Amino acid sequence: MWQKSRPYILILPSLLIIGTLFFGGLILGVLQSLGFMDVEGNSHFTINAYKQLILSKDFTNSLVLTLKVALVSSVLSGVLAIVLIRLLFMLGENRKTAIFRKIFQMPMLVPHITAAYLIMLLFMKSGWLSSITYFVGITKSMDAFPIVVNDPNSLGIILTYIWKETPFIMLMIFPIMSRIQDSWLEIAQVFGARRQEFFVEVIFPLIIPTWLSSMLIVFAFTFSDFEVPYLLGETYPKFISVYSYNMYYNGQLSDRPMALAANFILAIITAMIGGLAYKLAKKGYTKEVRW
Amino acid sequence: MKKQGKGTYYIIIGILLLAFLLPFIPLVINSFAYNFRWPRFIPSNVTLRAFKYVFYENSNTYEAILNTLIIAISVVVIDVIIAVPAAFSLVRYEFKGKFIIKAVLFAPIIIPSFTAIMGMYVVFIRLSLTESIYGVILAHILPTLPYMLKALMVSYGTLDIALEQQAMVLGSGPISRFIYISLPHILPGIVTGASLTFLISISQYFLTFLVGGGKVITISIVMFPFISGGDNAIGSVYGLLFSSLAIINLILIDLLLKKYYKKRYFKII
Repeated sequence: MWQKSRPYILILPSLLIIGTLFFGGLILGVLQSLGFMDVEGNSHFTINAYKQLILSKDFTNSLVLTLKVALVSSVLSGVLAIVLIRLLFMLGENRKTAIFRKIFQMPMLVPHITAAYLIMLLFMKSGWLSSITYFVGITKSMDAFPIVVNDPNSLGIILTYIWKETPFIMLMIFPIMSRIQDSWLEIAQVFGARRQEFFVEVIFPLIIPTWLSSMLIVFAFTFSDFEVPYLLGETYPKFISVYSYNMYYNGQLSDRPMALAANFILAIITAMIGGLAYKLAKKGYTKEVRW
Repeated sequence: MKKQGKGTYYIIIGILLLAFLLPFIPLVINSFAYNFRWPRFIPSNVTLRAFKYVFYENSNTYEAILNTLIIAISVVVIDVIIAVPAAFSLVRYEFKGKFIIKAVLFAPIIIPSFTAIMGMYVVFIRLSLTESIYGVILAHILPTLPYMLKALMVSYGTLDIALEQQAMVLGSGPISRFIYISLPHILPGIVTGASLTFLISISQYFLTFLVGGGKVITISIVMFPFISGGDNAIGSVYGLLFSSLAIINLILIDLLLKKYYKKRYFKII
């Protein structure tokens, strides 16, 4: 009996906390979005909140904006990460590239909220870059500097994510790179392959699954992030997380089911992306093993 | 030909390095500069006004640092206590429902915790966990626990089961086996997990604000009014303080791990 239940007993404390707090919270949220346990203590099943959300222009605008920004940020971070990894690989492993690697990891240490602030100080109209372009003579006034912060194109948000997430994607790929290099680079060189060819022919195909799955993780993260768009976003349309937060805490009590319905949609989308990322990562692992 | 090729790579990477470091420059300048306004890009004079404000005049700063540390350390301790047995079980045993349990435990990595906390809000109010540091600690467990679990699972994965069996044959009980064999081996995993947990916990703004309602003051909460359209010099000092906490954390962990492996290596010889 003890032998059989031991694995479960050891997991129980963690499972209990995540189960009640996380999944309990998600389920409670769904129930409240469906009209149960409303503020007056009444419960009646209704899908009104979802209907209202889907018909509301604010929500669809938010959804489109959030998807767009998450897509652009994750793809650009992924591309930049591959470019950097390739450059570092071409330079080979030495003391200098080890330092480069460390420096490229630095943004990961900065909390998101601070990262957003750094980008703001650098890019706002009265910011540092604007001062430099004025000094050099590229811009003639403060207003001539392009709007990057709190702008309709969410450029500031995208820049923050690229700065923060490129190092993350690189970090996910580094371990595979070193494993491949250890076992295959010398053999390839014996057969006359140059570093460039080795990267394109051997390394790149092997890191694709991990690369894609880490881009998906970045997508899921940026899609549901709150801090960066809260600080750098426009007033309209808002990111989904900001939209739902505003509705829950600043709206009327009757808006709360809608906020929780938006949350649930957000949770479902991220969960699906997470499942996809997991599948891809697993595929990458078996691919590498087969080699 | 070959040398020349490398030269261009160095130039490109140098430019990209600068681009990555660029955002730090205005933060440092803003925190020290006197009357730093557009179109200045180098300060005319240096002042410690913002540092003075943050560390002498604003009494909230110390409360914020203290709260941030109390929350982060409590979360680390709770995470370690509940994750060590769970990670052991997940690595060592095969059992029914393992895949689903793993999916449940790792879900908070990808599904944002605030969606759950907002659903829980009504319950938190009833248990008076809102506007309380305990509620914030509880909420911070969600985004951190999966990382602690992952770090510990990696550590357990490299622990040879034969070592424990040998100890068992020699008559040692489960507790002494854990203290003398497992614990020394998974120590680097605990340290790595603790460092990640600490980093994630101190970075939280939204969860802390949701649960704490602005009453539980942490560094990110104190900092926010200054960075959203407030005094840039003060905002920058908070930004520096915030980042330095994260960097100190990393250096400390690096030192600890290096010391650990040196000692181990020595023992084996």
